[in-house]
Amino acid sequence: MTLTDTTEVARSSAENMHYMPAQLTIPYTLTPGQATGIFIAELVNKRLLGSRHGDEIIVPAQDFSGSTGEPASGFVEVAPVGEVQAFTTNAKGTLGLVLIDGTTTPFLHKLVGFEPGSLEIGTRVAAIWSESPTGNSVLDLAGFGPIGEAGTFEPKSDPEGLAEPIEQIDYTMTLDFKHAYGAYYGTLFDGVETGRRIRGSKCSKCRRVLLPPRAVCDSCFAPATEWADVADTGTIQASSVVHIEFLGQRKQPPYVYAEIVLDGASTRLIHIVGDVDAERAKTAAAPGARVRAVWSDQHTGSLGDIEHFELIEE
Amino acid sequence: MVNSAQTVLSPSWPDRQHIDLISEAVVRVLKGTGIRIDDVDFVIDSGSDFLDGRSISNCGFLGAMGAHHKEESRVEEDGLWALTYGANKIAAGSASVGLIIAYSKPSESIVSNFWADMLEPFTQRPIGLDHESAAALYGQRYLARAGLVADDLQAVSRRAYRLAVSNAGVDLDAVPDDEAFWSEEVSSPLRRADFARPVDGAVAILLASPDVADQITARPVWITGMGSAIDQHFIAAREPDSLPAATAAAKSALRMAGTDSAKDYDLVELSGASTVGELMVAEAIGLAEPYSAIELYRNETASLNPSGGALPADVIMATGLVRVHEASSRLAGRTDSGDIGASSALVHGTGGFSMQNHCVVTMEVAS
Repeated sequence: MTLTDTTEVARSSAENMHYMPAQLTIPYTLTPGQATGIFIAELVNKRLLGSRHGDEIIVPAQDFSGSTGEPASGFVEVAPVGEVQAFTTNAKGTLGLVLIDGTTTPFLHKLVGFEPGSLEIGTRVAAIWSESPTGNSVLDLAGFGPIGEAGTFEPKSDPEGLAEPIEQIDYTMTLDFKHAYGAYYGTLFDGVETGRRIRGSKCSKCRRVLLPPRAVCDSCFAPATEWADVADTGTIQASSVVHIEFLGQRKQPPYVYAEIVLDGASTRLIHIVGDVDAERAKTAAAPGARVRAVWSDQHTGSLGDIEHFELIEE
Repeated sequence: MVNSAQTVLSPSWPDRQHIDLISEAVVRVLKGTGIRIDDVDFVIDSGSDFLDGRSISNCGFLGAMGAHHKEESRVEEDGLWALTYGANKIAAGSASVGLIIAYSKPSESIVSNFWADMLEPFTQRPIGLDHESAAALYGQRYLARAGLVADDLQAVSRRAYRLAVSNAGVDLDAVPDDEAFWSEEVSSPLRRADFARPVDGAVAILLASPDVADQITARPVWITGMGSAIDQHFIAAREPDSLPAATAAAKSALRMAGTDSAKDYDLVELSGASTVGELMVAEAIGLAEPYSAIELYRNETASLNPSGGALPADVIMATGLVRVHEASSRLAGRTDSGDIGASSALVHGTGGFSMQNHCVVTMEVAS
């Protein structure tokens, strides 16, 4: 098959499109710093803290004013009541900008406990404290609800007995993806799944066979217009015995990683060389060693269908 | 700017990888210019690792960008910033030909997470703030101040979708006729139609120094002004119903261009993350008085977003550069959609959470 018009090929393969689902989970230990750290730590004490920056009083307390850059001259304790300046309701609930009494910048938080239609700009609200505070989250203040009997007071400068700032908050970011294989990877993986057939695309200029296949040669930026079959045997160009453990590792160390040039391909494929112990691999899986794919019983349509490569002993 | 090109912008390109979209835009932008990839001195690209699902994602896309063994740099902001970076390199005399690329495939990830993951993680992210509720908080205050109701915003959104239908670069067959799309509140008071529709695509602009540009085309589009400015992160502390950072960005671009007002330009392409966002941008850059930009839409203003703008086609990270493609194509007479006789254009792009960051670029052709 010759690829002449990449757009046409891509469109025609749309019926058997493939995706690779992927999830990234990235753990963090976040440092809230002085002002935010103390602000959060004080929520379990049902105290709401702002910071003073000249004429500004900002809640939640900040180390610097985002508007003027002015450092905080001190903390102020504010009444946990205020007035709604704006709000929005979506499927998850209601968020509102609450101007806490005596402050100059509204505080964005959840609005809870309002009957539909009862909330208006100007509605007076009071803090709703969490019934099961964790000591390290802004959600120890569950949000703001109807004012009820809650009273107010003027901001109190330099409140005493402030908690130590929270030093660290553990956080994991989870990101989900659905990556499209596209026509080129799709053709490769289809062939791998159904017939254990490996195909690359050949650059029209340098004639190298690119694996995985792609529309345009990485080096020449010329179209890679032909499919080329590639064998499941090849030659090691470089190898490394992996001893370290790391996040996301799929195999218990030690194991052997190798850059392999499959027969008929011009690019290197990184895969595992199995059935060889770490010590022997240093010589037996050295550059120039010949290897053969050991196919797994799985037909998932990925290069993971190759269990590993084994040395061809000569 | 000697040429520009883009892929079709589609809600989903399920059968194309990023590299397929990027290489298509790059192949097209070089075509017919006489510039070969070997003549390109540098490549500057915009994209997002978060949207791409891999860190330093540009490293994996170099081949598709034609950046092999070239100077390459990534801007983690809309492609309009990449353009200013490239233009400065050429203006400084350190290069003659540059390729500016921006792309994204938001269809591969969850767009609300992309925006929410930009947020300060201690007091903003845990409460469930997302880009739509942030836009809606602006929306409620803007509508109240301007004396408008949510239905009035359809003057902006319906026009945008109507124009996008006739834009061959946008995959949109018809103006949506789904009643919920126009009327059902997603994040009150805003509806689905009020939020920019994420689309997949790639765009490329070819930049050249004057001596090279004059050899390539009789109608190069000259960049005359550039400016950018950023607002603070916390939306609670920003202005409630205006975008001062967009004002500052426009002011600096206009000063550089030696012009007094955005109204002096024949053509304006704006990026709005929402209908209200687009109105606030129009006011911020000086196209309309505060709280009156709706009149630009009620009285058809042909020079404003003739492409349909960002609302029907938001290629996150590339939308501002798509605006440059739209504007420069019209100025150079490279578009099928009719010559409106424009010889100057002002383009706006935005980035960051809830339009925190703004960039304005002005351009002209010899008339």
